[in-house]
Amino acid sequence: MSEQRNTSEGQAAKRELVITRIFDAPRELVWQAWTDPKQLVKWWGPKNFTAPVAKIDLRVGGKYLYCMRSPEGHDYWSTGIYREVIPPERLVCTDSFADADGNVVPASHYGLGEDFPLEMQVTITFEDVAGKTKMTLKHVGLPESMSDMTNTGWNESFDKLAESLQ
Amino acid sequence: MSSDSLSATFAALADPTRRAILARLISGETSVTKLAEPFQMSLPAISKHLKVLERAGLIARGREAQWRPSRLEAGRLKEVADWLEHYRRFWDESFDRLDAHLRELQAQQKQQHRKQTREKKHVRTKKHL
Repeated sequence: MSEQRNTSEGQAAKRELVITRIFDAPRELVWQAWTDPKQLVKWWGPKNFTAPVAKIDLRVGGKYLYCMRSPEGHDYWSTGIYREVIPPERLVCTDSFADADGNVVPASHYGLGEDFPLEMQVTITFEDVAGKTKMTLKHVGLPESMSDMTNTGWNESFDKLAESLQ
Repeated sequence: MSSDSLSATFAALADPTRRAILARLISGETSVTKLAEPFQMSLPAISKHLKVLERAGLIARGREAQWRPSRLEAGRLKEVADWLEHYRRFWDESFDRLDAHLRELQAQQKQQHRKQTREKKHVRTKKHL
């Protein structure tokens, strides 16, 4: 029993990403930055990226579709469905790569590794800490995804490569 | 790792020719001429692709002027393949921008508030007169 739990915990640790940040702003403002498409496009994406499209249907079961554009002009679309919407405390949604029409595509569509899950879940919580906002983001790869079916491809090649370099 | 390396990697991997070059390099160090063989492309065109891959840290190139052999940079590639690492960088860089956005937004609000207060004062002064 306990062994089983350990195993699943080990797997969860491998599949889960947690990031905490404190923003010097009231949490209503941080919540709006996440849920107002006009604001989201101002920060969504890595440094030097832009976000030409953000569509948000903010309700449980509602969809979002974002596009970010690299400095070289490549577009990367992502989509998901809201699972929990509790302003200004908690936002839960699924997250997948997409095409411009909002259809889910595997990460390999964008030349990324095949171990990327097809669907992930993102949970964002906002806590008020003396007028500032402590935001915690949890990013989890959902099971029953591609990662379980195809862990070969790139990874296999990397293993070979790592061996050859030893 | 510099903060905009993620964008360089994204761009480097977005191109099918460059992905094919990476796949070829898995079997070992290769010269530009050899790399160009399977593609219907000029040497300068292939060199251009190699430059992009090199800038993204995905390959390294030998110093020999005559045939600068290219080889894979295993560590960088592994990082790209690891989706958690990919997203950690994605979020970190996005949240830096969110932080800047929130600062700017609040500075604007403050300025607007000050302006309104000034206008109110102005109206009050006028009434006095």
